[in-house]
Amino acid sequence: MSVDILRTTEGIEQHKPLMNEGIGVAAEQTESTKVARNSGPRKSPSAPNFHEKTYAGHSMSEPTLLRNCNGDNLLNLGDNLSFNDRDANLSVINLYDDEVISRQMDDFEDNNDEDSQQNVDSDEGNTPTMSMLQNNCNGSETEHLDRYGFKKQNNFITVEEYNKWWKDYSQYCIRRKHKWKLLLAKSGLPMDNDSPNRFPSRSEKLKRYVRKGIPAEWRGNAWWYFARGQEKLTKNKGLYDKLLQKMDDLLKKKKKKKPMQDLDIIERDLNRTFPDNIHFQRETFQLDEPPMIKSLRRVLVAFSLYNPKIGYCQSMNFLAGLLLLFMDEEKAFWMLVIITSRYLPGVHNVNLEGVNVDQGVLMLCVKEYLPEIWPFIAPLHKRSPINLGNSKYNFGKNEFLYRLPPITLCTASWFMSCFVGVLPIETTLRVWDCLFYEESHFLFKASLAILKLSEQTLLKNRPQRVLRHYSLSNGNYHSKDLRINQDESEMEVFQVIQSFPKHLINPNDIFDKVIFKKRVALNRLDQDEIDRCRKYVTTQRQRYKNYNEIVGSNLHHDDDEINDSNAQKNDLLSNGPQDYGSINNENNEEQISGAASDMKVNSNNRIGNDLVNNALSSEVYGFKKSLSGVHWNNSIKEKVRQMRKKRGKDDDVLL
Amino acid sequence: MGNSVSKTLGKIFGSREMKILMLGLDNAGKTTILYKLKLDQIKTFAPTVGFIVETVSYKNVKFNMWDVAGQERLRPLWRHYFPATTALIFVIDSGDIDRLNEAKEELYSIISEKEMENVVLLVWANKQDMKNAKNPREISDFLQLGQNLRNQLWCVIGSNALTGQGLVEGLSWISNNTKGRKN
Repeated sequence: MSVDILRTTEGIEQHKPLMNEGIGVAAEQTESTKVARNSGPRKSPSAPNFHEKTYAGHSMSEPTLLRNCNGDNLLNLGDNLSFNDRDANLSVINLYDDEVISRQMDDFEDNNDEDSQQNVDSDEGNTPTMSMLQNNCNGSETEHLDRYGFKKQNNFITVEEYNKWWKDYSQYCIRRKHKWKLLLAKSGLPMDNDSPNRFPSRSEKLKRYVRKGIPAEWRGNAWWYFARGQEKLTKNKGLYDKLLQKMDDLLKKKKKKKPMQDLDIIERDLNRTFPDNIHFQRETFQLDEPPMIKSLRRVLVAFSLYNPKIGYCQSMNFLAGLLLLFMDEEKAFWMLVIITSRYLPGVHNVNLEGVNVDQGVLMLCVKEYLPEIWPFIAPLHKRSPINLGNSKYNFGKNEFLYRLPPITLCTASWFMSCFVGVLPIETTLRVWDCLFYEESHFLFKASLAILKLSEQTLLKNRPQRVLRHYSLSNGNYHSKDLRINQDESEMEVFQVIQSFPKHLINPNDIFDKVIFKKRVALNRLDQDEIDRCRKYVTTQRQRYKNYNEIVGSNLHHDDDEINDSNAQKNDLLSNGPQDYGSINNENNEEQISGAASDMKVNSNNRIGNDLVNNALSSEVYGFKKSLSGVHWNNSIKEKVRQMRKKRGKDDDVLL
Repeated sequence: MGNSVSKTLGKIFGSREMKILMLGLDNAGKTTILYKLKLDQIKTFAPTVGFIVETVSYKNVKFNMWDVAGQERLRPLWRHYFPATTALIFVIDSGDIDRLNEAKEELYSIISEKEMENVVLLVWANKQDMKNAKNPREISDFLQLGQNLRNQLWCVIGSNALTGQGLVEGLSWISNNTKGRKN
């Protein structure tokens, strides 16, 4: 049966030499799949030394796991299972990759922590002595990979840049881990062989710790704990296994009957989920697909059966894939359920309305917290520039909530995949730490922080854009020029926004430069605000939709006619030898006459229009302000802002 | 009088620049093609969730290529970015016989959109290296573009993103057939 579902993979693999190293014979493939499925809770095959102290014992009964442990990657101490048993701390060493004396280097960034005085009793726990594992990490085969098995190099970052950064960051990670150990000890929580299951109760201090990064090998447990995964699992005990059973049945039936949409789409995405991660890649000598891919298939198919309303949506493969690097299959499944329902409600649904709502919220937030960025991404009424100010397309101030600015095509993917593939991996993980502790508002905060950081690059690339934007509102423009300029500047903005995040290799850039700066306005954003904002945008979008249905159909009809005549004209023109000029002129005339006829249509619908316009524009979302939730008038706020700018760095007053 | 306007446009177009929308079903090879053209680099790409925009220069023409998510569910996200597209590139996985029909339906649903009336249409019959791949003629016959398209110029070219076969030919076809057209 698994042969059948492998159809597409074989197609891709066809040109690879089929060397058999004695582990991947076809018969065994089916066998091992079965074993993996029936052996109770599945362990993440790739990342034993992140969290699995029982790994060594388990792996004996799971051939799929053993197979992956061929010692050729950083994470898998396959050759060193005994180390794992003897001293789980060794895994830490492996993860940090560098010789460090963590104690002495500690604590300059936490001066205000009360626990800097705790350093006295810091001598529990073994100082990592790493020499014995150095070979393992620096083997020539794996030195191009990071500690999760991703390639260090990509189109945006070179190996040299990576190594240079990692030298410092790995030290930072060790210092942070030490801090975490102290915190746990102080809270009386067991280390559980370097795989703690319980964490201190929520507090400002813990929040700060999470923001500074959860130790990589604890992440699986910590995410599970903060997202209250166990609650979900306990309520639904055995459900995951039932879903897998159902999946098996379906696959058997599938042979005879028509293919199922979701299964096929999942199959197409499996082998390109993390093409640059060793755990998701089939080695040339491997006949069998990597266990990670099998796990990923099971999680995604199980999810599509569990929640048919969502089924499978691209980007969920990235979410599940990353989860699988840190926890076992069943947990990854439930975390996926939690992410798609609690943090990103509706985002992966068939109609994608959740995406649009969140993008509307993000745009509102940009306008509010990053007014300096807004002009770069504000919509320029591309469709009908001539109708600016005409009530036909005037949805009021919040039109962008309905007709989202094009840049949201880019930022939508930030949310759908929670930055996987958008930010470099260590940075993504830091965002995930906060996501599970602080909930979905952190995704917005992170997005805003990225946009904030990109400001300089945006300005450098196209300083005229802002000017252009404002000159448009005077109405003095040539529509053809406008369109060209729009495309041009749009390209620039898109390219910055799409590539900028990929350079953010150092997570602390986001945190130290934005998130930890108390005075930065966007840090006022909290979960409550996002919840409110989501509700507001949802209602607004519903209203626009209704409005469109009432008024839109009539207008659209007219639009078609106008455009038809336009098109005919153009067709005629482009058949003969023409220069740009005459076509351009003709077009303008057409558009102007188009506008005139729009006016007529408009007067017909005036009553409906006015009603809806009034209803729509009278309601503007009010953000909470730092002072006791007073809703400030926007224009006053803008004045204050400018006053503050003039006064220079008058730091301590926050509005 | 047309002269002065064309001068203005000439300034703007110093080198010509055009917006190209690259579409196709998921896993057709759009991103691979884009980066083969842009960086002459071949690798496996993860599925595109949002979109990628890259500028590819060929001769004096700057192609702003918009590579958007192929999965059916994600298509509504970019539907309203049709305006001002000079050319539409539709990429087909010539080896995925089962989904040729789906690809055809998708192509027609896009090309019949109002905003697509004046585009030139290039179809890349991609993955010609697959052993069961349909050749460009078969793909062309299957799509029946000649019978169905009245306004748009169209062309089907066989391609292989791994070797680069057919890619430059495609771009130069677009370039040659958009001269003198409105952007």
